[in-house]
Amino acid sequence: MARLPMLALAVAAGAATPRPARAAAGSIRGRVEVTREPPAPDARPTVGELGMPAARDVPNRRRSVVYLEAAPQGAFEEHERGRTVMDQRNETFVPYVLAVGVGTTVDFTNSDRTYHNVFSLSKAKRFDLGRYARGQSKSVRFDRPGVVRVFCEIHSHMSAFILVFAHRFFATTDGEGRYRIDNVPPGTYTIVAWNDGETRGSRSVRVGDEGGVVEQDFVVR
Amino acid sequence: MRPLVLLVAAVAAAAAAEAAPAEPPRGPHRLVVGAELSAAVGPHDGGFFNYTSYEESAQRLARLSLTAEWRVSEPVALLGEVRDENLGRPRVYALYARVRPWRERAFDLQAGLIPPVFGAFARRRYGGDNPLIGYPLLYQYLTSLRPDAAPGSAGDLIANRGGGWRVRYPLGWGDAYPSPGLPVVNALRWDAGVQVRIGSEPVEASAALTQGTLSSPRVRDDNSGKQLSVRAVWKPVTGLVLGASGARGEYLSRSVRQALPEGRSGRGLQQAWGADLEYSRDRWIVRSEAIWSRWDTPALARALQALGLTGEVRCKLVPGLYGAARIDHLGFSRIDGPGGPVSWDAPVWRGEAGAGYTPFRHALAKVSYQRNWRNGGRVQELGLAIGQLVLWF
Repeated sequence: MARLPMLALAVAAGAATPRPARAAAGSIRGRVEVTREPPAPDARPTVGELGMPAARDVPNRRRSVVYLEAAPQGAFEEHERGRTVMDQRNETFVPYVLAVGVGTTVDFTNSDRTYHNVFSLSKAKRFDLGRYARGQSKSVRFDRPGVVRVFCEIHSHMSAFILVFAHRFFATTDGEGRYRIDNVPPGTYTIVAWNDGETRGSRSVRVGDEGGVVEQDFVVR
Repeated sequence: MRPLVLLVAAVAAAAAAEAAPAEPPRGPHRLVVGAELSAAVGPHDGGFFNYTSYEESAQRLARLSLTAEWRVSEPVALLGEVRDENLGRPRVYALYARVRPWRERAFDLQAGLIPPVFGAFARRRYGGDNPLIGYPLLYQYLTSLRPDAAPGSAGDLIANRGGGWRVRYPLGWGDAYPSPGLPVVNALRWDAGVQVRIGSEPVEASAALTQGTLSSPRVRDDNSGKQLSVRAVWKPVTGLVLGASGARGEYLSRSVRQALPEGRSGRGLQQAWGADLEYSRDRWIVRSEAIWSRWDTPALARALQALGLTGEVRCKLVPGLYGAARIDHLGFSRIDGPGGPVSWDAPVWRGEAGAGYTPFRHALAKVSYQRNWRNGGRVQELGLAIGQLVLWF
């Protein structure tokens, strides 16, 4: 659980050394290569079933989040009150990892024929949406930064992460592991790669006064 | 049993061979293991209302359960569970093979020490599946019937009325070894045999051929009789499950039959029918179940019958906290005794209400208050405050 205080610290501090305004903002981009075999889903044996359980999808555990450990002063005041979706499809949360800013509302849609019951007991957000059927959706607004672990009460193998940031300098990787964080003011920052519940690596990067693109790759073993 | 095992093994091997690709499929979760530790603490149950066929009280029970599911190949899985209760001898609770011979057809075969087809409660495997601490009377309460001993007359039955914890009968082993009676359906032991399931939502059906009966599940046959049990399930809308079950099998052991006086015979059949309902929505789950059972006893002209009803509700109050309640009744048919007609066992009522709190995902703490009423026996009314902690991974 060491990752929780790490992230809380990351979003609360303003310890980076950005340059004064008027300098050109830059971008940080790169690739997070996950070389390890993703672990098995957190399931319980289906000893009490009368037959094979229904086929289900496997969550994409290679999806990572990259973020600045400490953001420029003033970044914490820019609260995006956006809206995004975490679907439940073939007994899997899609996406498996969601990164949002404080104030964002997440719609938990149900695309399965069965009931789902999304809940979380995380300190950053405790909620229980109850059971609801296909085609229905329930929403949760995330008002505090931190890592929120999401589960389904009915299907023990279903889990997902929602990372809530107090600033906007974060990105999730695409299907090839690539990420890009734009509009980063000049300065020296610690950039962190997070994957499947853990901080997997951090690097120091510098965005120059002239802006431009800084490359930073990670390898998660 | 041996031919049955060989037959099942052959079918499983054939199915696996038919479906096996050149290379074993690389599933993401080939072996899943789990464990659950639960400990229930309560006062002494002087009326033996909560005692089980393992001679333990369900509300004074520490249980360690280890489960495993090994997906041998896409159509074949092996499943098992070992339990230890109150640091006693570990018991194999479940051990069976699961086969889906045709990938595109909703047809499953299970063989070994299998989950019961009948009813709904007995397949609730994990501590969290039971919102309260006690069991429904139908699945746990010990009646005054035994599989290895039988009453010689109505008077013998009446003498044991309300005393299912220690039953003595003259026929069979009853005089030598007083022993716990049988529940209507035993949720704490599973039966050995073969089971098939066909169909998928909204309608599915299952049938099983097993060694024992609902009351007396068995690993080894002791009477050359088999039980046939069936179940049909209909899910008309999401959240609503309607089930109907039936079973028929021989519960009396061979030793009782051999001990019968000349001129008396009987196979000792147990027959049962059941109906169950579950409806859930939002924060609520409501469950109800009714089971009627009859047992033939060689010395009595009329079969003994029992009818049990149970209703349960669970409501989530805030994240991590729920409240639950259950009401149970178990009634028995009447027989002619020396003082007139009387029920062959003492009717029982049980009410239980409690709450469960999940501080973190792998823990559940429950508290409940249970009250029992019985129209007979040494203790006729008893209240119990119980606590239980469940940890799992």
